[in-house]
Amino acid sequence: MLFGITLLVFLLNAAALGDPARAAMGQRADPEALERLRREYALDRPLPVQYATWIGRLARGDLGTSFREQRPVAEVLAERLPATIRLALAATLVAVVFGVAAGALAAVRPGSALDHALMGAAVLGISTPVFWLGMMLALVFAVTLGWLPVSGYGGGSLAHLVLPALTLGALHTGTVARMTRSSLLEVVRQDYVQTARAKGLPERVVLGKHALRNALIPVVTVIGIGLADLLVGAPLTETVFAWPGLGRLLVAAVGQRDLPVVMGAVLVFALVYVVGNLLVDLAYLLIDPRTRRAAA
Amino acid sequence: MRKAAVLTVVVLAALAGAAARGEAPRPGGTLRAVFSADPPTLDPAQATDTTSSAVIRQVFDGLLELDETLTPVPALARSVRVSPDGRVYTFALRPGVRFHNGRELRAADVKYSFERAAKGKRPWVFEKIAGARDFTKGAAGAIAGVRVVDDLTVELRLDRPFAPFLHLMAYDAAAVVPRDEVERRGPGFASHPVGTGAFRFVSWRRDDQVVLERFPGHFRGPAPLERVVFRIIPAEITRFNEYRAGQLDLTDIPTGQCRSVQADPQLRGEAAVWPTLGTHGLRFNVEKPPFSDARLRRALAHAIDPTIVVERLLEGCVHPARGILPPALPGYSPAIRRPPLDRERAKRLLAEAGYPGGRGLGPIAFNFNTGDLNQRIAEVLQAQLREIGVALELRRLDWAAHIKLVDDGSAVFFRQGWIADYPDPENFLTVLFHSRNIGAAGNTSRYRNPAVDRLLDEADAMTSGPARFGRYHQAEQTIVDDAAWISLYHYSSRALVKRHVKGLERSALSSAPEFLVPLRKVWLDR
Repeated sequence: MLFGITLLVFLLNAAALGDPARAAMGQRADPEALERLRREYALDRPLPVQYATWIGRLARGDLGTSFREQRPVAEVLAERLPATIRLALAATLVAVVFGVAAGALAAVRPGSALDHALMGAAVLGISTPVFWLGMMLALVFAVTLGWLPVSGYGGGSLAHLVLPALTLGALHTGTVARMTRSSLLEVVRQDYVQTARAKGLPERVVLGKHALRNALIPVVTVIGIGLADLLVGAPLTETVFAWPGLGRLLVAAVGQRDLPVVMGAVLVFALVYVVGNLLVDLAYLLIDPRTRRAAA
Repeated sequence: MRKAAVLTVVVLAALAGAAARGEAPRPGGTLRAVFSADPPTLDPAQATDTTSSAVIRQVFDGLLELDETLTPVPALARSVRVSPDGRVYTFALRPGVRFHNGRELRAADVKYSFERAAKGKRPWVFEKIAGARDFTKGAAGAIAGVRVVDDLTVELRLDRPFAPFLHLMAYDAAAVVPRDEVERRGPGFASHPVGTGAFRFVSWRRDDQVVLERFPGHFRGPAPLERVVFRIIPAEITRFNEYRAGQLDLTDIPTGQCRSVQADPQLRGEAAVWPTLGTHGLRFNVEKPPFSDARLRRALAHAIDPTIVVERLLEGCVHPARGILPPALPGYSPAIRRPPLDRERAKRLLAEAGYPGGRGLGPIAFNFNTGDLNQRIAEVLQAQLREIGVALELRRLDWAAHIKLVDDGSAVFFRQGWIADYPDPENFLTVLFHSRNIGAAGNTSRYRNPAVDRLLDEADAMTSGPARFGRYHQAEQTIVDDAAWISLYHYSSRALVKRHVKGLERSALSSAPEFLVPLRKVWLDR
């Protein structure tokens, strides 16, 4: 699958107009310097040869050299990876904590005012543009109240992480909340929940212990798929918060036609996606004893 | 006996300024500046963008630099002598200049730096030096016209006189690098630059920040500022918010807020708008039908009113253009006349060209690069041209794709501005309209006029003065009459600078947030 993705990206790039050597030259391109640069970037070679060279290098663990930065792609990606992972994990945490809590609260009394309010907020969270939400949060909490920094990585400080994580997590929080609610409502209709109630257990225990755990299975799936959303939403969040992550790097690299970086970044995104889904499968084992037995 | 004409560049300019106003620069503090993009490189031989230049100019020095009035003044060179025929420049280096690694600067470093940069991304900076072209192509082992006379003297010989040559020597592509460090670090030099500049490199976290610190051993003495931090913030609204939150000392005014910022009681005293050396142009490919017909180009020029763009879209914070050269450029002439707004004349010209009422022309593709402002300008043009019966089809592409269609001549009507590399009419007119530069080298309208070529060739070689500028004006008026371009407006820098920042020059060559001025003159009053 990874092979297919790299081939697709390579072909898309080949089909796109624009020349990385020209893009690197600024407003005034000296024709001879341009030719020299094309040779240096090996752009004068036929496309199949370019791709084969890239794959050959990849097999040896070499992602090539960035056209724009003239440094190994692995180095370029590795610098941005910690910031990207921090942001993705923090956003997921935001989504899980707020999403599950909101979903569970809404499910306690379906149709109540609280339910409508929470689910309304969830729809807002899903449909609010990331860029706008980020701007508003920064305006309120950073510029007006001065509680948090406006933007930047801040050398990895927690305060700098809060607003980007809330922004990126918002979209996902809504999805998780709605999924938790509907799944929970489905589960409470099951016989074993009725049994638990009949035993005289308090509603808190019925929902919190018996129902929620089973309701979480589809929610975990949503979280796994949501990793893709986080990657899609990341470039915008990174831009509005000046966060030095992979999303911004990828957007800049596409703009510069820096093919080695584009290929490398897409490969990393694809890997993260695969690993994310693997983690989801592993989480099923934790939550659902039946899958554990099936696996054994 | 011929007497050698000696051009001794005066050293006083740099010392004036703050001292004259009785304010002694206060040492210490960190200047918190900002960039809109990560610099691709910090190597003067590889840079082609203003962000990279803004760092390079602090870390490196050239033989000369430009003062506030854009005049070349001494930097690493103590003086320069020009031969009477204007072809030989002899630079006497300042003794005792040290690189950040402690080694003393020698004339051989200048030769090494020029030859290295001549094989970099801006070889045109050196092409006037005899033998530079052969060297760049690999046909010679050295640039014949660069001679190390002794440890403190370099002689540069040109093929023919070139009036703006001293400007080239003040340009950051001609910065002097230490050979030993470059060779030791290899490609890593671009991420860890070492120069002679007033600030030395500390760190660079990509897409986050570049940090510099004062170099105590600078040949002019230590700069007042202790540190400079350039944050990298891509979104203009975020830069603005950081500035308002007190986290940046300077930034740019966001698009569409030029007037509101100037009216804001808090920000009013901190806002500064000044003209810069750039022109927003609409260019035709004059080689290709239908725009090979000058009557059609003129018809469009008569139908487009730049004042709407200037007033409504840019809030009057830029100047509408008359010609190609911006008013802030030495050598600008206010006498240039653009085709006036006259729709009747436009319609007549359209009919003369064989398209009465626009019939037979079909929709014309207008290419522009992605950007909100460019999109809105394109829509204004579309509306204005509709009035004479010409339909525009808007084609919006990202920069890499746009420039490809422009360079190879497939775009027939397109947006492409120009920002000066150095303040001389040659950098506009010869680069953009001389037939030898057709294509990616600058003349993307593919304009070819032997009379204009001749005027430009003459002016490029003349010594500075009214006679030289006169030839440029003649060429410029011909180009404007031929409507190879329709100039819309001249760029300006829209900046916000905190009141405690002193000594920051408002150079016509720098446009906020990237200030290309020497930060060694800046100090903080708090």
